[in-house]
Amino acid sequence: MAVEGTSVALPQFLKKIELIKQGAEARVYRGSFLGKPTIVKERFPKLYRHPLLDEKLTHRRTVQEVRSILRCRKAGISAPVVYFVDYTSHCIFLEDIVGSITVRDHIASTQLSSAQKSPEEHLDQLAQKMGQILAKMHDEDVVHGDLTTSNMLLKAGAESGETELVLIDFGLSYISALPEDKGVDMYVLEKAFLSTHPNTEALFEKLLKAYAASSKKSHAVIKKLDEVRLRGRKRSMVG
Amino acid sequence: MTVVIGFEGSANKIGVGIVRDGEVLSNPRRTYITPPGQGFLPSETARHHRSVILTVLKEALEEAGLKPADVDCVAYTKGPGMGAPLVTVALVARTVAQLWGKPLLGVNHCIGHIEMGRLITQANNPTVLYVSGGNTQVIAYSERRYRIFGETIDIAVGNCLDRFARVIKISNDPSPGYNIEQMAKKGTQYVELPYTVKGMDVSFSGILSYIEEAAGKMLKCNQCTAEDLCFSLQEILFSMLVEITERAMAHCSSQEVLIVGGVGCNLRLQEMMGVMCKERGAKLFATDESFCIDNGAMIAQAGWEMFRSGQTTELSDSWITQRYRTDEVEVTWRD
Amino acid sequence: MLESFFYPQIRFSSVMYSTQELELFPDRTVTQLLFKDVKNAAELRKNAMEGKINGALINPSMIVSPFQVLVAANKAVHLHSTGKMKTRSLYSEIIYNLSPTNNISEAFKRFGMSDSDSAVLIVLVHLKEETQHMTDIIAKVDGQQIPIEDVSMLTDTAKVKKLYKTTPQEDTCLLDAVVCRMATKDVM
Repeated sequence: MAVEGTSVALPQFLKKIELIKQGAEARVYRGSFLGKPTIVKERFPKLYRHPLLDEKLTHRRTVQEVRSILRCRKAGISAPVVYFVDYTSHCIFLEDIVGSITVRDHIASTQLSSAQKSPEEHLDQLAQKMGQILAKMHDEDVVHGDLTTSNMLLKAGAESGETELVLIDFGLSYISALPEDKGVDMYVLEKAFLSTHPNTEALFEKLLKAYAASSKKSHAVIKKLDEVRLRGRKRSMVG
Repeated sequence: MTVVIGFEGSANKIGVGIVRDGEVLSNPRRTYITPPGQGFLPSETARHHRSVILTVLKEALEEAGLKPADVDCVAYTKGPGMGAPLVTVALVARTVAQLWGKPLLGVNHCIGHIEMGRLITQANNPTVLYVSGGNTQVIAYSERRYRIFGETIDIAVGNCLDRFARVIKISNDPSPGYNIEQMAKKGTQYVELPYTVKGMDVSFSGILSYIEEAAGKMLKCNQCTAEDLCFSLQEILFSMLVEITERAMAHCSSQEVLIVGGVGCNLRLQEMMGVMCKERGAKLFATDESFCIDNGAMIAQAGWEMFRSGQTTELSDSWITQRYRTDEVEVTWRD
Repeated sequence: MLESFFYPQIRFSSVMYSTQELELFPDRTVTQLLFKDVKNAAELRKNAMEGKINGALINPSMIVSPFQVLVAANKAVHLHSTGKMKTRSLYSEIIYNLSPTNNISEAFKRFGMSDSDSAVLIVLVHLKEETQHMTDIIAKVDGQQIPIEDVSMLTDTAKVKKLYKTTPQEDTCLLDAVVCRMATKDVM
């Protein structure tokens, strides 16, 4: 049974479904795949890179992403299910977390909304949850590499009405037990958090507190975080 | 009309420049160049600056056709940079300001680069990639601060290049980075080296230690040429820089990029950034080597902005500091 | 109508079997059929090995949901189209893709039908309009066709959990745990 002309099938499929985001690294689509709502993440070639570097990096990030997802899921950390990976075109087909919003949008709208009775309290709970999930992830020695509030989704929980936190975008992730790497991971989040959401220093502190309380190895990580925070101010200028 | 004279000497370049209402009237400079395989040390650099600064100052005034009385403000680099050279230059600036009876202004070196970049290119509100021997930052203006969106978590990209140049004993004349760039053009083989981007930040110590260790062996075994290493190192370092710049642009929804700092002279970096910008429909702005590389006029230009918005530095506050974050300064001259 | 008279066990109602067009390979459709009380397992296996059956014979106790089979089939067709299959045929590749490991013979042993099985899930990959293969296969099976969704009643959950090495934290959805491993096994 000959199966021909399939090299055009993927691009044709992507043309038919909905492009929801054009990021720096990847295009993200939403569509139906094998009867399930699916997100397709397509890492496209970056023309400014040397082709050998580009292929290596793109492949590596695709692989790291799916590896980290499974590792997180095994530990009970929510991440989208991987349905299919096309390593030739660097496309990952993932579970679409229907009815979810990014933590970024949630915080922004909560801060704006005057209808919210006590936004601080509500966000405090979220910050706590974030700290707990990240502690769990780091205890699995998964370093996300690109923690931002856009890379966390809130999914309305079925039974308790509680919201479930889902981590996404593991393209820069890797496995490491080093407190240094985990500290940098939290530093990346801190910078992204504070630059995206003004006046949230106290909220982030609550996140760190919850992290420290939930992880068995947090002391060393927080220590490294403090060191990295100072590093920018301590750079040697000797040429 | 506002005339500002600027003194810059935070690393191995010593420059004095004069700016009048957006026009660069003069911008002479000298560079302290060390023999191949050697970096420049603070005390020797300061000694070099001391020996030429008055000559350069004289040149600046003569080229501009101005007398001390014509100057409205004396600006100098407050930091960041190397201690001894910064002190040397600050001393002269303070003396000159008192002699001439003019107000003093301590300027942040990075902001000098940014303001000169904005002046020369007329970029509106760009994402700035500031890359030099001492700094690697991705900066965007927001609410009266030049905020740092991404940076190196260890050494600067220029530092990485300079130290690699020392390993394979490339000449420091006119600068190690320039010579690496020329050699890279002759490279043909791509050699794999570590690539490290962490979120919006980059790390160069890994690739440096790798290449410091491996270069000798690779060259000895004829696995590749020195030109190949220069070529590959540039491709990887610059890809990392373009990547974090693009991430910041995506984050800020910016359509302009401005490259400043000595490494910004590199045409390959400009080329790669240009390709990325083209893909996004963004515009790339870059300056030539007279402004990319540390110079006095950029300090004068930043000083001009600060002075016109009402800032001056009291003599008692005119110290220097080796560590001075770009985001510490309140940008009072922009909305 | 006439067919129903001569072959009473064949039902063409779509309730029994499932079809899914492969979005990435629009001319390919995957059909799944489920049978219980199968009496000629050995004969079916022999036919399959001799190439007389144009389908994959799968042990349904290892299947949690038809989606699991679809994921395996999609991957098999993809690898076939890029010339990167690990096994010799499309149908053996489907069985191999169900396995969480890269050991081919183990995959056939655990997921393929065995002579002693009394239930079988048959997967076909064909052009949309082609129904002849399905008719032929149904005729060959000495057993009762049941709705494909009923496969969840035949699942040996304990065995699946053991083979896929799922963790207690994944218990809330076994299908997700299974599919994720199938999709990522090449790089784990």
